[in-house]
This record gives sequence, C-alpha cells and structure tokens, in this order.
Amino acid sequence: MVIGMRFHIEVLHPNRCIGCYNCVYACSRHLYNAVDVNRTAVFVRETGSLENPYHVIACRFCKDPECVKACPQEALSALPEGGISLTPAKCEGCKTYDCVHACKLGALAIDFKAKIPSPIVCDRCGDCAKFCPHNVFKYEEMKE
Amino acid sequence: MRKMRERILYIDLTEQSTKVVEGGELFKKYLGGPGVGSKLLLEECPPRVDPFSPEAPVIFTVGALTAVFPCMVKAFAFFKSPLTGNLGESHAGGHLATALTLAGYGAVVVKGAAEKPSVLRISDEEVKLEQASSLWGVSTFQVEKTLRGSPEGMRSVVSIGRAGENLVYYAGALVDRYHHFGRLGLGAVLGSKKLKALQVTGTRERPLKKADEAKALYEEFHRKIVEGEVMAKYHNLGTPENLLVLNEMGALPTRNFQKPRFEGVEKISGDVYAEAFLRRKISCPGCPVACIHVARLAVPFAPEHEKARREIFTEEFQVPYNYEPMYALGSNLEISDPEGLLRLIFLCEYHALDAMIAGNVLAWATEAYEKGLVSREDSLGVVPRWGDWESYARMLENIVETRNPFYAKLAQGVKAAAEKYGGLDFAMNLGKNGPAGYMTGPAFIVGGLVGARHSHLSNAGYSVDQRALKKPLTPREMAERLVAEENWLYVLYSLGACYFSRRVYTEEAVVKALKAEGVETTVEELKALGRKIFHNLYKFKLQEGFRPSFKDVPGRFFEGETSLGKLEPSQVEEILSHYVKLRRREGLKLVPEEKMLMDLLAPKKSRGEET
Repeated sequence: MVIGMRFHIEVLHPNRCIGCYNCVYACSRHLYNAVDVNRTAVFVRETGSLENPYHVIACRFCKDPECVKACPQEALSALPEGGISLTPAKCEGCKTYDCVHACKLGALAIDFKAKIPSPIVCDRCGDCAKFCPHNVFKYEEMKE
Repeated sequence: MRKMRERILYIDLTEQSTKVVEGGELFKKYLGGPGVGSKLLLEECPPRVDPFSPEAPVIFTVGALTAVFPCMVKAFAFFKSPLTGNLGESHAGGHLATALTLAGYGAVVVKGAAEKPSVLRISDEEVKLEQASSLWGVSTFQVEKTLRGSPEGMRSVVSIGRAGENLVYYAGALVDRYHHFGRLGLGAVLGSKKLKALQVTGTRERPLKKADEAKALYEEFHRKIVEGEVMAKYHNLGTPENLLVLNEMGALPTRNFQKPRFEGVEKISGDVYAEAFLRRKISCPGCPVACIHVARLAVPFAPEHEKARREIFTEEFQVPYNYEPMYALGSNLEISDPEGLLRLIFLCEYHALDAMIAGNVLAWATEAYEKGLVSREDSLGVVPRWGDWESYARMLENIVETRNPFYAKLAQGVKAAAEKYGGLDFAMNLGKNGPAGYMTGPAFIVGGLVGARHSHLSNAGYSVDQRALKKPLTPREMAERLVAEENWLYVLYSLGACYFSRRVYTEEAVVKALKAEGVETTVEELKALGRKIFHNLYKFKLQEGFRPSFKDVPGRFFEGETSLGKLEPSQVEEILSHYVKLRRREGLKLVPEEKMLMDLLAPKKSRGEET
C-alpha cells in the first residue's frame, strides 16, 4: 500500500450530516477499490428512522486503545500518535471479535469478506473528510 | 463480480415464488435504468392489461453506474399507469438504488398479488413475503419507522399510504421518508397487489472496474458538483428558489393557470421557508448536494390545549418541500399561508399522493364549484375557495378515502373528473398527467404532451422556452431540442443519474465514466441508445393506445399570459407537428390523430419518411 499524506481526523459535527455517505464511499474506495457500506473505517449509522439525525462514527485514535488490549493475539498495536495498526499475520480471525466489542463507540468493524476476517483499521488517508460536503469532520495534515 | 448488478430478481406474489436470472446481454445492450426497464416492461406486461390486475408487473431498475459516481442515485419504476392508461415510469432518489445494487440486483420484477396486506423483504440472502395486516391503513411515516431498524448495510424502505391502498390513480410511494416515486400512480398499483411496503437491504460490495480511473473521475465530478455553479441552486435554497424567479418571469401558475403571477408569492418563497421552517437538508447516498429541504411543521393539539401556549403543546412533523408541490398546492390554489401550504404538502406525504396532481385536482374542483358544475352535496359540504387551505385539506382527506362518487372521480385525476362533470377546458393536464409549474411557453406544453412519462423532466420543455426568451427559436428548433434532450436524458437515467446532475454529466464526461467501468463507447453510440430507449418506451405507449393529440391540450393554456406572451394554439400545433415528423424520421411509428398533422406529413412521404 502506498502511504500518502496522513491526517488528524475528528468527527466534530455529526449533526451536520446530510446522509450522503460520501465518507463511507470514499473510505471503501480507498481501502477496497469498491463501494461497500460495511467494509469501511467510517460509518453513517441510521437509528430507527431517517427522521433521526445520522450517527457518524470513526476511530478516535485513542492513546491507550481498549481494542488493542482486548486482542488475545496482540494483532493490534497502539501507535505513539494515537490510533492502532494491525499485524495481519497475528490476526487469526478469532470469531469472538473482542476488539470490536471493546470499542464502545462502535468505530471498529470486521472485514467479513476477507479470507481471514480481521478488523478494518483507519490509515488516516483523510478521504472521508475530504469528500464530506458539510464539514462534519475536522481534519488537518499530520506533521511528522 | 460486476455481473452481480446484471441479475434480475423475479418475484411472483401470488405463487410466493422467486427466481434469479442473469440478464447479461440486456444490461450490456441497455446499460440499466429505463433502458433495461423498458425492455422488461414490454416483455412482462400483457398488452392492454388492467393496471390493477395481478398480471400487471411492477419493475424496479437501477443504473449502470449507481454508487460508482456522485449523483448516480436514482431508482426507476415501470408499470402500467392507472392514471394515463399507458406507460408508468417514475424515478425516486433515496437509498433504493444503492440498496438494490449492494443486494446484487440490477432489476426486480414483481408480478401477481398478495392475498393479504404484505411486506416484501429483499436482501442479498433472501426474499421474504410477510403478511402485514396490522400495517394496512398506517401512515407512510409509521411504516418507515417500523421497517427501518438499525440496518447492517444499505437499507431502503418503500411504502404506500392510504391513497395507494384505496387505489387513488395518482397515489405514489414514499421512499426512505423524504423521497418519492411520485408520479403516474405506482402507489395504487402496489396497493392493488396488497403490497404495503418493500424493505431492501444490501450488504455486498460494488467493485470498481478500473479503480484508479474511477477514483480520479469521482473526485473530478465531486469538485464540479460541490464547488461549481452547475448545482449551486440545489445546495442553497433548493428548487423553492424558483417561486420568485418564475413569478418575476411571469411563468408561475396561479389560480389554476389563470394567471402567471401570484400576489402572495413573497409569503411562500424559498427564503421564507429557509428562515422560518427549514430544519435540515437530506441527501441521497452518493450525492453531496442535499437538495431535499425538510421543514419543521408544528401542529398544536387543539382544542384541549388551546388555553396554553400554542408552541408548548404541539406535535412536530418533518415535511420535505420543493418547488413542484409549492406551486401546485401554493400559488395554483392562491395559498399564501406558508404553514397552511406545508400542511397540504404534509398530507400528500403522509398518504403518499402525487402533490402536483392533488393541486391540479383541487384547482379544477374550485373552478367547477364556482361555475356550478359540482354542488355542495357533491363536495360533502366543503366549499373549495382559493387560498383556503383548511377546506383543501378536508377535500384531500375525502379524495384519499374516496368518500363519495364525486371524490372517487377526483381520485381518478382531473381529466376523468372533467369528463364526468364538465370543465375540460380548465382541467389542467398534459397526457392526463398533472403539469408542473411552468407557464413558460409552448415548448413546455408540447414537451409534457409528448414526453414518454408526460413530465416536465421528460425533455425540459420549460428550459427550451426559457432559452427562447433570450434568443428566439423557431418551432422546428424547439421540436429538435425536445427530441435531443429526451433522448440524451434516457442515456443519463440508464446510468442511474439524477436529473439535477445533467450539467455535470456532459457527453464527454459520460464516455469517460463508462470507460472507467470497462465500457468503450462513443457519444454517437450513446445517443443512438437514448433514442432506442425512447422508442421502446413509446412502443409500450402506442401498444396501450396512446396517441399524441393536440385536442387534449386544455384551452386554458391559451387564455392567459406566459413568459413568452399569450400563446396561439397554432404555435403548439406547429411544434407538435415538427416533433412528430422528427420522431417519424427516427423510425418511430408515431401516428398523430389530427388531420392537420397528417396533411403536414403527407407531402414528405416521397422522401422515404413513411413508416
């Protein structure tokens, strides 16, 4: 994978969401060369009726991530700048998905279409924020 | 994987059976949308079938590029229209196109009829028909809440209201709460099948054929949409901006098309709603525009709380508003109370009724009442009066419930009502469909008369008139534009595009977009395809007995002013004859009924134009 620019990303104004799913589409295009509303690292969730505001969820890049601690295989590791990385070789497709359950925000999903289902990790490409037409996200380039 | 979207799901409600057929060739040749839909309709709909019989199919299709590029969001429905007796074609935004695509279907054909009120659930995994007697009679809003849930994947909920259940000829279907299959009576056809709702859930992926090309193009289109001028109107005030613009131009239908300007327009303008009522804006998934403007309508619980402060004891409704219902239920009924207008739009949403025709019917009824063609007994004691939204609200309820023979006639559309009670001259319709709100000139009239679905969006006749306002066009030029526009729009629709994005998807852009999907084609080939699609749709119309007829244009169109001045019938006739000639030259077996037109065509026979 080509690593381009990386971004600080925050879902700052979820109530501005208009339900266009541009962030979700951009993420799945970036990660999987497809449009997919389940295989993504950013989510637009609908709750009970479209009359309710959309719920926009993305990784908050915790400094001490519970998802990392929850993985018995140590397949996830915490990054110094916050957030996580996955060592695919260590992820065994555990079927208990402790990492997913550990994130109470619900920002971590499993790629069930992969041979070995494993968590989908945000690589901070910033496409979700870039394609959002309503400024739901706050984002800026990371200086390393 | 790309083949997934080329699957056709056939559902028989009577037999409760389903099958999936690979539609490869059909999709290759016709892309999707109306291209595929028109072919399936010709295959599946028995000629001259009763629109409410179980044999009459309902066909849903999605576009070839649905979800792949921005604004490729429309789902398309094809059926036999109870209103016009010929082609039923309606387009809806919302989640449906994407949900079907991600469920792996390019088209769904529904035939038969359920025994009891039912809900059809379609997902990647299964298709289920469930009895839903307890949902019959329930509002579209409640059905959406019942079937939405917290979906894993993209979910769409399509539902009918009381209007569809009661077979009102212009009942629509609500799609994902804020969107509609508004036109030509799909709701009634679903009602005749006892299908209260569809729930579609898609969890698969839509792979990109040439990912790098597609991503770069996506970004290019996206920038054009959000940063450019071409769609700015839709981002901001939305189509309600048209009220003031058309009023200024002298093209805003007022008092049943008697006048092209409305004194009360300032009170119901897009600005008024943006300032006092706008609650939120909504997009279709895959479109950054958010053209759906949703108002907050607060209704007090009168009478028991009348003594308290009104705003404390209210129930709140979200009502999407846009130009067409605002003209039809606003200026055309001379309603200048912005909240009253919202209430009427709300009723059309709640019961899923074509708001445009609702307005046309109420406007005709008001004049018919004034002229003594209908009595107070007919109207069940309600006196229709210009500007009186409360009477109109009661009448709408009476229509939805078809409470007596008069309201049952109104439920069949304005032409059917006028045929019984008189007043055809002011029964505003074009091809039996309710005209949109543009007293722009003759191209609008001809466009509505000949358009495959008799919509102002069929061929944008209003926009041809507006162009003629800047630089005069000959009748022939107008006809040429109508032909070219409708042919090209069918290309865009077959990709899944929304009409509002037509300026983004130029000829060149479409060729590039298809190339990224591995489809090599040229502008010429595409134009030929658009023409072919139009011809297929017309094949159905002609088979069902439709003939474009000048006699069907209500005289009212020639009484008042338009933005191009007062119209002479001959202007419309002339454009129509050129139009028919152009279509015949394309090879369409279009035979008009008027002798005048036949005379005009006759001398050309030697040039090989006969078909």
